Amino acid sequence: MTRPHGVKGRKRKKAEERYDRDEEEEEAQPMEGEAAKRATLENSNSDKEAEPVEETAVDELEGIPIAPSNQKSDNSKVIFILERASLEVGKVGKSYQLLNSDDHSNFLRKNNKNPADYRPDIVHQALLMILDSPLNKAGRLQAVYVKTEKGILFEVKPHVRIPRTFKRFAGVMLQLLQKLSITAVGKREKLLRVIKNPVTQYLPVGSRKIGLSYSSQKLVDMQDYMTTVPSDLDLVFVVGALAHGKVETDYTEDFIAISGYPLSAAYCITRICNAIERKWKIS
Amino acid sequence: MAKSSSRTGDDRNKQKKNKKKKNKSGPDAVAMKVKAPKDNPFETIWSRRKFDILGKKRKGEERRVGLARSRAIEKRKKTLLKEYEQSGKASVFVDKRIGEQNEELDEFGKAILRSQRERQLKLNNKSKYNLSDGEDDDFEGLNIQGKDDFEDEIFPDDDGAEAAETEKELTTVQHLNSQIPSEISMEGDENKHKSKKEVMEEIILKSKFFKAQKAKEKEENEHLVEELDKNFTSLVQSKALLSLTEPSKMNALKALVNRNIPNEHSNKENLSAIQKMDNSEKEKPDVYDRLVKEMILERRARPSDRTKTPEEIAQEERERLERLEEERQKRMNASEGSSDEDEEDVEKPPKEKPRFLSGDDLGDSFSVSEETVTMKGWIDEILEKNDEEDAASEDVSTDDSEGSEDADEGSDEDLDEHGKDLSLRDWEQSDDENIGTDLEDEEGEEDSDDDEQKNTAAKKHDKVNDKKAVETIIKEKDSSGAKIDVGGKQLSTKLEDIPYLIEAPKTYEELCALLVNRSNSDVIIIINRIRASNAIKLAAENRKKMQVFYGVLLQYFAVLANKKPLNFELLNMLVKPLIEMSIEIPYFAAICARQRVLRTRTQFVGSIKNPESCFWPSSKTLFLLRLWSMIFPCSDFRHPVMTPVILLICEYLMRCPVVSGRDIAVGSFLCSMLLSILKQSRKFCPEAIMFLRTLLMAATESKSISSEDSEFYHLMELKALKPLLCIRETVNNIIPLNFYKIIDMPEDSSFFTSDSFRASVLVAVLETLRGYINIYESLSSFPEIFLPVLRLLDEVAEQKNTPNLLRDKIKEVAEFIKLKVDEHHTLRRPLQMRKQKPVPIKLLNPKFEENFVKGRDYDPDRERAEMKKLQKLVKRERKGAARELRKDNYFLFEVKERQRALEEEERAEKFGKARAFLQEQENAFKSGQLGKGRKRRR
Repeated sequence: MTRPHGVKGRKRKKAEERYDRDEEEEEAQPMEGEAAKRATLENSNSDKEAEPVEETAVDELEGIPIAPSNQKSDNSKVIFILERASLEVGKVGKSYQLLNSDDHSNFLRKNNKNPADYRPDIVHQALLMILDSPLNKAGRLQAVYVKTEKGILFEVKPHVRIPRTFKRFAGVMLQLLQKLSITAVGKREKLLRVIKNPVTQYLPVGSRKIGLSYSSQKLVDMQDYMTTVPSDLDLVFVVGALAHGKVETDYTEDFIAISGYPLSAAYCITRICNAIERKWKIS
Repeated sequence: MAKSSSRTGDDRNKQKKNKKKKNKSGPDAVAMKVKAPKDNPFETIWSRRKFDILGKKRKGEERRVGLARSRAIEKRKKTLLKEYEQSGKASVFVDKRIGEQNEELDEFGKAILRSQRERQLKLNNKSKYNLSDGEDDDFEGLNIQGKDDFEDEIFPDDDGAEAAETEKELTTVQHLNSQIPSEISMEGDENKHKSKKEVMEEIILKSKFFKAQKAKEKEENEHLVEELDKNFTSLVQSKALLSLTEPSKMNALKALVNRNIPNEHSNKENLSAIQKMDNSEKEKPDVYDRLVKEMILERRARPSDRTKTPEEIAQEERERLERLEEERQKRMNASEGSSDEDEEDVEKPPKEKPRFLSGDDLGDSFSVSEETVTMKGWIDEILEKNDEEDAASEDVSTDDSEGSEDADEGSDEDLDEHGKDLSLRDWEQSDDENIGTDLEDEEGEEDSDDDEQKNTAAKKHDKVNDKKAVETIIKEKDSSGAKIDVGGKQLSTKLEDIPYLIEAPKTYEELCALLVNRSNSDVIIIINRIRASNAIKLAAENRKKMQVFYGVLLQYFAVLANKKPLNFELLNMLVKPLIEMSIEIPYFAAICARQRVLRTRTQFVGSIKNPESCFWPSSKTLFLLRLWSMIFPCSDFRHPVMTPVILLICEYLMRCPVVSGRDIAVGSFLCSMLLSILKQSRKFCPEAIMFLRTLLMAATESKSISSEDSEFYHLMELKALKPLLCIRETVNNIIPLNFYKIIDMPEDSSFFTSDSFRASVLVAVLETLRGYINIYESLSSFPEIFLPVLRLLDEVAEQKNTPNLLRDKIKEVAEFIKLKVDEHHTLRRPLQMRKQKPVPIKLLNPKFEENFVKGRDYDPDRERAEMKKLQKLVKRERKGAARELRKDNYFLFEVKERQRALEEEERAEKFGKARAFLQEQENAFKSGQLGKGRKRRR
């Protein structure tokens, strides 16, 4: 709807508003360039910047040289897709609310819905797990896509700080589903936005798309499985954010189970993140 | 599409639900659709919902696009088309007939409307004067007139008659029925036009009615009360109530009843009997009543004595001592020569009885019996005193004449418990000390307090040792007590009584003069009295006195500690007053201590220059150090006294060479004292550990000095290290050391060279070492500090002469050290390159509103938001208007087009006709005929 106030920058052109692959690549390119530039800048500045910061530490540990951090700029990235997330807006009384099983069980029963299916907290936890992982902090997460039960697809940028409390998360999701985008505080950058289906158009070419399900016959150890994947390949993990049932996607190439037990989405994601961090040596 | 169509079906059903419920089945729905009058297939298309939101009822849900379009067209046909048609015309026919505009009316309705209009016109003023020209008019007029007359005249009359009738009824019949109010209310309904008189009458009537009602109610009440009374009397006379209530109250009840019905004589006998019974019980007042009365008389609350300030307590103490002193003086003066006699006199009253008895008896074992008697008198008096606490003041007044003892007691009562205790003790002291056992008990009690301090002082010893020390002390005490007992009678005459008020001594000589030849407890009592009589809180100048006295006392303490037969008991007892006083004058105490430390240190530095003299601190220094460690806080990071004290101890340990067994004992004592000082603050003192190491080294036989050790020797100033502690022969049992004994021993005593001494010193060293391990276990350099010690321990343990008990102990400590060292080793981390922390990506907070409502502008600038809203509205309106205009144009265009098409058609027809005609003509002309018609006509 209306553009956020304050900053009156350059308007997004009509052509750019189309959220398609070309633009994605275009966007990615400058990002990389920027990152490279920043890296070089950091290298040049490291001597200047590091010293004042480390001065306090130097008092204690004099003479011990500082090793450069071994953060390689690998290009391969990870994408997470949360399928069948139960994020739905309902009009409860006079106000719109994100439906969850706790607060709206009576409302849902009145509308002949099963309250057990409305579990936005799963998405919340899963998002927190993804975005809090060192994998993300190291900048190796490309994006998170969430597809709701109703078929609405939205993208979560990796540098979003998802609200830690569920109530605030519900507020964000409510606004996102109604306004179709969420900007950053004090910036015009869109952190979350609803995008067109299907999700496959946003996935990088040649990426390995891996679906996860307890129901899969292929039970693997995540650590071992990661060794089989070439390290320069982009990875896409499809995880279901639903309480009951399984995800059925046609675009996944592999369908694996990483535990003999049914895992929660959040824990499954932590396992994946751990395995990737091990593989990419992010500590 | 399928979705939408299904929804339309649903919606339709919903609409029809009002009339026919639950006809969702397919055939029915189809049938209904068929039934619908005329379905434009385009109108059945419904608007489709894009996002289905649960629980939302949308307003435009029932909108049908096709229907709306057709409606719009209809509307245009009515408005725009009409206008268009009129546009080319100069004049218009307007149908102004009544009811013609309204389409809902049928012919009959229109006719009614018209006739109404006609009548209205007639009723106008203009038509009033018109001559009637028909039957209808006449009839109407008459009818109206007749009605009017009737209403005006007849109805009021009727009403009035009715009112009059009711009036009569009311006045005649005083008793009132329930009908009347309703009638009144009925009248009220028709109350519109009543004369004044009638109104007044009505009011009067009402008042009368209410009066009558009141009278009746009163009568009824009286009746009820009478009945109740009757019931009550019957109840009272029945025995049920009698059994329930108290007789005294019953009597009152009866009286009441009797007064009420004086002429009732039933059950008279019974009543009288009861009355008799009651009279007997009447004297006793009710318990409750009595209580109430007492409570009324009782005072509400009494103010208690206010809590006394320390100044007041001090003042009281002083006053008490003054009084005691006076008494003492009086006693002294009254019977100058024999204070003993005086006291005997005093004790006479309680003694008199046994005297009589003994007087009757023979005189054998006279003295013994006397003693026992006196003992008894003691206890009795104390018991008596406890009993008679209430009547204390009386005692004072009466007993004053009798004797000083009782007066003493009396005065005691005023004081608090503590004071009482004190007085008791004082009194005992004032009495001569022929009751040795009693006194000893008292001492024992006093000492129990000091025992703790003693224990801390003797920290280096085991518990066993402590116990033993206590035992020995008790023994000593016994012996001393016995001594006093033995010489009690002679001494008592010589010893003058301790004065109650003692001026604080200015110099050491004065104090010595005061305390000379006094027993330990006496010394303490004297000191306590000095403190009490010169309490700082009493007067400002007392502070100075006390400061001087403190210095003198400290000197006394120091001198006492240096005496060769150590009066340890007295030293212990002196600690308490010293601590208390230094709390009172902390600055002065600190200065004293500092000065002494300084002097000791200079002495030490001076003495260390010549190698012959003994460097180790004297017992005086040791005791003083211990005293200060008790007085001042040891755990302070920096303390004006304790820091120099610690440094001094460290210096002793560091610089004094260990030459003899006594040195070892003193050194290990210093170590243990240092341990007790450092226990809380956990400061690291390498000197103590070094000293312990040297001691352990002295216990080993081998003299092989490794490189490590040589370094260590370099640190220490001692050069010649003899195997002083090396145990040569097997020792069977290890006796814990008694430090006081050791201190008293001469330096060249054979005890120091005995193996048992060595073993016990080693035990003490091990214990101290364990203490240090406990303190320093958290230091990160723990392994480096204690590993050499561990090796030494192992060496000592391996020696063949080491007793088993000692070996076990060594093993234990060694294990302990090993455990801790291992812990530290496992916790240590290898040296590492410092790594730069990876920089995480910068996170951004999403901006969102709580309770977001779609469509609301969340612009903080309200004005701008309002403006935007209006602009949006304008834009929408403009768009709508444009759309409408466009549609109008389309419509008009269509209409014009249709017309044009029509005209075209007409024209084409005409053209065709004319052409046909002309063709025919031509044809006829060419063919030579002049036409069919003409031909035919012809």
